[in-house]
Amino acid sequence: MCGVFGYIGGPRAASIVLEGLRKLEYRGYDSFGIAALGKTLHVAKRQGRIPEEGFDIRGLAGNAAIGHTRWATHGVPNDTNAHPHLDCTGKIAVVHNGVIENFAVLKRQLQERGHRFLSDTDTEVIAHLIEEVYEGDLPAAVNAVLPALEGSYAILALAKGDKRIVAARNRSTLVIGIGDDALFAASDMTPILEHTRRMVVLEDGDVATLAPASVCITNGGAPVDREEEIVQWSVEDVRKGGFRHFMLKEIFDQPAVFSEAVRALRNEELPGIIRDAGRVTIVACGTSYHAALVFRYLLEEKCRVPARVEPASEFRYYPPPLEGLVIGISQSGETADTLTALQMAKARACPTLAIVNVVGSSITRLADASLFMNAGPEISVAATKSFVAELAVFLHLVDVLKGGACAYELDSAHLAIEEALLLDLTPAVACCRDATDIFFVGRGPFYPIALEGALKMKETSYIHAEGYAAGELKHGPFALLSPETPVVAICVPGETYGVMASNIREMKARGTPLIVLGQKDDRDMQEISDVFIPLPFAESIAGLLSATVIMQLLAYHTADALGRDIDRPRNLAKSVTVE
Amino acid sequence: MQAVILAAGEGRRLRPLTKNRPKALIPVANKPIIDYPIKALLECGIRDIIVVAGYRKDHVKRHLNSLDAPIKVVEQKNQLGTGDALRCAAPQIRENFLVLPGDNLIDALSISRIMARQNSVLVKDHPYPSNFGVVMAEGDMVRSIIEKPEHAPSFSVSTGIYHLTPDFLSHLTDNSLTDSINGMLERGGHLGVVMAGEWHDAVYPWDLLALNKKVLRETSPAKSGAIDRTAVIRGPVLLGKGATVGPFTVIYGPAVIGPGAEIGSHCAIGPFVSMGDRSKIDPFTLIRHSLLMEDVQVGSHSRVTEAVIGEGSAFGDHTTVEPGVPLVEIEGTLIRGRFGCIVGDHVRADPLCIFQGAIVGNDVQIRGGKMISGTDACQDGVVVV
Repeated sequence: MCGVFGYIGGPRAASIVLEGLRKLEYRGYDSFGIAALGKTLHVAKRQGRIPEEGFDIRGLAGNAAIGHTRWATHGVPNDTNAHPHLDCTGKIAVVHNGVIENFAVLKRQLQERGHRFLSDTDTEVIAHLIEEVYEGDLPAAVNAVLPALEGSYAILALAKGDKRIVAARNRSTLVIGIGDDALFAASDMTPILEHTRRMVVLEDGDVATLAPASVCITNGGAPVDREEEIVQWSVEDVRKGGFRHFMLKEIFDQPAVFSEAVRALRNEELPGIIRDAGRVTIVACGTSYHAALVFRYLLEEKCRVPARVEPASEFRYYPPPLEGLVIGISQSGETADTLTALQMAKARACPTLAIVNVVGSSITRLADASLFMNAGPEISVAATKSFVAELAVFLHLVDVLKGGACAYELDSAHLAIEEALLLDLTPAVACCRDATDIFFVGRGPFYPIALEGALKMKETSYIHAEGYAAGELKHGPFALLSPETPVVAICVPGETYGVMASNIREMKARGTPLIVLGQKDDRDMQEISDVFIPLPFAESIAGLLSATVIMQLLAYHTADALGRDIDRPRNLAKSVTVE
Repeated sequence: MQAVILAAGEGRRLRPLTKNRPKALIPVANKPIIDYPIKALLECGIRDIIVVAGYRKDHVKRHLNSLDAPIKVVEQKNQLGTGDALRCAAPQIRENFLVLPGDNLIDALSISRIMARQNSVLVKDHPYPSNFGVVMAEGDMVRSIIEKPEHAPSFSVSTGIYHLTPDFLSHLTDNSLTDSINGMLERGGHLGVVMAGEWHDAVYPWDLLALNKKVLRETSPAKSGAIDRTAVIRGPVLLGKGATVGPFTVIYGPAVIGPGAEIGSHCAIGPFVSMGDRSKIDPFTLIRHSLLMEDVQVGSHSRVTEAVIGEGSAFGDHTTVEPGVPLVEIEGTLIRGRFGCIVGDHVRADPLCIFQGAIVGNDVQIRGGKMISGTDACQDGVVVV
């Protein structure tokens, strides 16, 4: 998982690329580098994040530059392994996102032919391969090299003596931006948006040649036409806008995200494969997996459609006997495991549906039909608004399958999110911040909400947190309860209120600090809990959403109180494009 | 020229409307009040705008992010006063600057006047000066400003809009901006008087109706919703994207109707009505001289006049809202206002209720057929049975 960004046009190429790379840092941030092409080729690269200031790019003159922000897969993150990588002569520079699977073989062959390698990366082989065939025409050289590469890649290349950037894509997203007097190429739209809204999304096998004033796209050597899109995302969407963290900004975006997602879906015809589905399998990872679990409860309860939910990473190696619709969910549309799972479903002749946020991402090309979350770019590694947008998509599906029975609830659901944003969670945060372990429990559709709450707590605050179906706590984890392990419990009116209340009393008896999310006027819970958080709405859809938001805010404020790097938690990347 | 907009205060006198948002974010003609001073500044060519946010600061940031103009936000941790708020923005100030309250309406002409005079305050005559800082002046120079005097010696009040130089920041010794200004004057500083054109403040919640009316007069008509061909639209009406107007409904401008709003058949809306995004009016209902925030619903056969209704509140059918002149206590003072109702957010009222000069808190539930007036239901969260 890495980000590439290239620019060709005006004289400030290197600084434009550096700014663009900052926007791509959410794709990985353990090293970065830039190559700029003026009279000669200059490279600067460094381990670590891009510093706010003090990174000297004065030496990088030229009107074309390529840059890279890295998430290490081959070779440890250090200065040498940072991209761009050069050939033996220092005339060719390459940045690359993806994995070259046959790089070991290629590297050995190249070494036998006398090439000297500096880094441990798979990318460096590309530079040396180009070197062997380069005779002053970079596009021709790249085209000649690509057949030798196996694996996934989005490549940008520069060569001394050729005033062009060459971009190539295979199974890794690459977007070309067309400005008034400049051209851009990037792993996604975020760094391009502030310059232009005209975008072309490359397809697998495409090679784009960016000259100062023209772009030419070929596939297998033959020119192809790719449709230009006008992207509506505003630059504002990708700015932090006064908020201290993207995560909080994105949490506050959620009321609008929810109603926008529903509104957009209502204007679209629902793909027939959904209405006809007698049985549904959903594959997803992480937060999307939790959203899928909520969907399962609703689909089975309200629509009587049998559904199973599988983590995509398991599904791809242990696929169940498949029949019926297979749905893959991925915010980025690039999650490797989910992509593979959908490919397998297709191979078994199952209809496939993608639920995705990023238009033009790989998953949309793969699936038979796609539904979009319309959540806008999500920068924070900890997913928040995409979860709410995924719920919006699912709730809309349930609504349509039920013939509009939940339309009213859907219309007013954003109010529940808005109200949850107003709650003061200080007492709950005080209860969590010093804990080393926290349990999150719920029942029914609130069980996945508890899982999601625990995940948010883990990834932002680094506090060990576990989500459980409340009844399961007794089968083991109860042994861990003590006055040092707070429990966050969701207890709402309904069928399970009674059992949930008795679960909570049992926990109380162990001296566990209790944070209970319950209905506003629930006196019992107010008395028994140490911290009571009144859910603005406790009824089904609105209740799910307000509980979700409270969980997100609890994790956020706890992490903030502990001084964590909230938007970029350690060891994590935004979208996981490798296994 | 820079501008510092003070938007950190809660605006307690405007409760229940300020429980969930600062005063600066209360919508007037479907836009938060703070948008109007920002618009005036932009019209005068001021691009470097700093907003001080405090109470519900994240909501302020979210709103500012939705505007086209890039605006800096600084945070005031504790709402100690306007002087302290300005101190929070001080590190950003490099040149002459304006200070403006984020919760007042001001026109661009007044801004351009005060821009022309360094070290000055924008002053306006007001019939009830005791609610403001009263300006004691000699000729066109200020002698002192007396904050909310019981017996006002003059009708000239400070709008809270100043044109100051960076030197002033060293006089910022008090948490109150007015006291800091007085301190500066005592130490021999000078402050000129500049007369304001249009300036309006909402001191009490019912003042919002007048503010709404004021702004609605400037409505430039535009229609982008779905209007039934039998519906009649007269006067300046701004109809948002995706709004629908049912058959035989009449809308009298000026009125502003937000995106996604639904107006049923046979309704009479306006004049002087603003309806927030996604608000919904059922058939045979009359609404006039009212301010409805986002997601408000009014049931069929209702009659609503001079109402301010908070976000997400819903009235059942056959609701009546009629103006009354109740005596209400606000922040310790008894005061008489004229209005139909001031209703907080997320209020549910069942059918056949009557509101007359009523202040209703947030999250209040009212069972059917109740008559509500004065402060009967002003506590947040009460259930009126």
